[in-house]
Amino acid sequence: MSQLMIQTQELTKHYGDVKAVDHLDLTVHEGEIFGFLGPNGAGKTTTLLMLMGLTMPTSGTATVGGYDIIEDSREVRKIAGMLPEGAGYYEDLTARQNLNYIGQLNDIQIAEREKRTEELLEAVGLAKWADTKVEKFSRGMKQRLGIAEVVIKKPKIAFFDEPTIGLDPQGTKEVRDMMIRLNKEQDLTIFVSSHLLHEVQQTCRRVGFIRRGKLVAADTIENLSNKLASGEKMTIEFELSKTSPDLIREIQAINGVTSVDQENGKLYVHMEQDRSKEVSETITKHDTTILMMKPKEYSLEEVFLRYYEEED
Amino acid sequence: MAGTMTVCQKELADHIGSKRYIVLFALIIVLSTLSAYQGAEYIRNNPQAGFIAIFSGAQFGFSFASLMVFFGPIIGLALGFDTINKERTSGSLSVLLSQPIYRDSVINGKFLAGTAALSLLTVSTTGIMCGVAIPVLGFGPALEDVSRIALFTLLTVLYLAFWMALGLLYSTATKKTTTSILMSVSTWLVFSIVITIVASLVANTIAPVQMPRMPTGEGFTPGGGFNQTTPGGFNRTQIEGTQEYREQIVRYSTIQTNIQRISPAYLYNEASSSILGIIGGGFGFIGQQGGLQGRTPFRALELTQGLMGTWPQITAIAVYLVVCFAASYMLFLRLEIRPGG
Repeated sequence: MSQLMIQTQELTKHYGDVKAVDHLDLTVHEGEIFGFLGPNGAGKTTTLLMLMGLTMPTSGTATVGGYDIIEDSREVRKIAGMLPEGAGYYEDLTARQNLNYIGQLNDIQIAEREKRTEELLEAVGLAKWADTKVEKFSRGMKQRLGIAEVVIKKPKIAFFDEPTIGLDPQGTKEVRDMMIRLNKEQDLTIFVSSHLLHEVQQTCRRVGFIRRGKLVAADTIENLSNKLASGEKMTIEFELSKTSPDLIREIQAINGVTSVDQENGKLYVHMEQDRSKEVSETITKHDTTILMMKPKEYSLEEVFLRYYEEED
Repeated sequence: MAGTMTVCQKELADHIGSKRYIVLFALIIVLSTLSAYQGAEYIRNNPQAGFIAIFSGAQFGFSFASLMVFFGPIIGLALGFDTINKERTSGSLSVLLSQPIYRDSVINGKFLAGTAALSLLTVSTTGIMCGVAIPVLGFGPALEDVSRIALFTLLTVLYLAFWMALGLLYSTATKKTTTSILMSVSTWLVFSIVITIVASLVANTIAPVQMPRMPTGEGFTPGGGFNQTTPGGFNRTQIEGTQEYREQIVRYSTIQTNIQRISPAYLYNEASSSILGIIGGGFGFIGQQGGLQGRTPFRALELTQGLMGTWPQITAIAVYLVVCFAASYMLFLRLEIRPGG
């Protein structure tokens, strides 16, 4: 865990006047699953492309597995695999042929290549389709083939760019499980970019937030959400047997309650501090039964969205 | 180098297995078999023509050589026009480039594979033509014919490889295959047809040819006969006019030919004429389409003589090829993979 797998220093990429990535300083440790979060167009893919040596940084440096991404770009590609967003395959070739080609390009000797191909096809659940042309594959199957192509070189680090985009829930789960399994079983460091927070929440220990090419935060999810959620107001949702303007007025009068909303027969009480006890007592005093009461939680997504908005 | 060979192997297998290649192959086999029969027929009617005339002789239409002038570009371009941008659009390029290979292995491998596919096509076509012609004619090629055939085949591969390299350049320079196919077709039209028209237009403007002016009336018959001459100095004027006319034609065609020589198709036409032993290949008023047909192939040109004469043409085609490949190479090495291709 202590070893640094990725380290970027002031990594910058301009496309004309647009700063796609702006002085990015990022570290990823060996063996972790790192989530790279940000809205569309924030610079996630550009960062990945630079780390893999597919595009040149405008300025700044970075190392992957100790190799400089500019000087030793080929060494980086030996130890790092990438599944790009919208990765393409040779549609006229079968799954086995596609995988074999990638193996050949990685200079894996034939016996070993064949062994790994069979193992991987089995592992990603494509053994039955090994000799089917990829053009007949569903999106989920293609994505699983893509993962096999990343893993065939036995990398130390794998980059996954929006790996679950466009997949159905089943496919999403499969891809996610595969990433977790690879991380556990082979101690593979995983760098996954996504714009879906809940996605990252389920797989990653640490996340980095990128917005307009800048890293705005990088920490564990708990720390980040605590940091962001502190100072947040809370809301309690009530479902009552009946309501009256009097009751609402009285609730509003409670010290600490900021406002009360009525929506779809439900009551939302917003407050600065936890006043749930006082509120429920007031309701009972009015001969009203509480059918349901629960604190309305902000999902991390909402917290982060708000966080983005504040920054704008 | 290992990367180059891996890419080349895979691409060659792709070419040979592709429907596109099979269709082209079938088409060229049909056309060349027909032209071999035509050529053989021609040789029977013109006993002085040697075996080599199966490539240049045309009894009813296209000879094999003129077929190549015109359709060769299509074959080359078809194998080249989507080499890079197809992989860019499909997203397989970023997967390919994230493997531990040098970037030039990709373009070198693809170019080699294309050239190999074209060579296979040309060599087997030539072989089939000889195979068809020998039993029909009852005799085979002489030693010199064999070397002519070998050279002609090499020249054809070079010519086709140039068109493929041009397609490769377009596929590297453009993002969409629709754009590169359009550019390919346009270039083919320009070099095959437009340039002939332009050359004539320019020559006509710079050095117009005036029909010899004859005093109308007595002595001149529209049929063009000079034999019904009238007494007096008239005959002398006529001869002067004719000489001037000839000079004009020479100037006209020199300009025209030099403009047409911009076109690799024209250069190939000239070079193949010389190799096949046809005199005066490409000189005169003949456009590409009709360039080789209908002209009597006779072996006034020794092979070495012919080669010496067309060395500049062959070099020019090679230079075109190198320029196209070098440009695509540079472009590809600098190609930036952006998010979304």
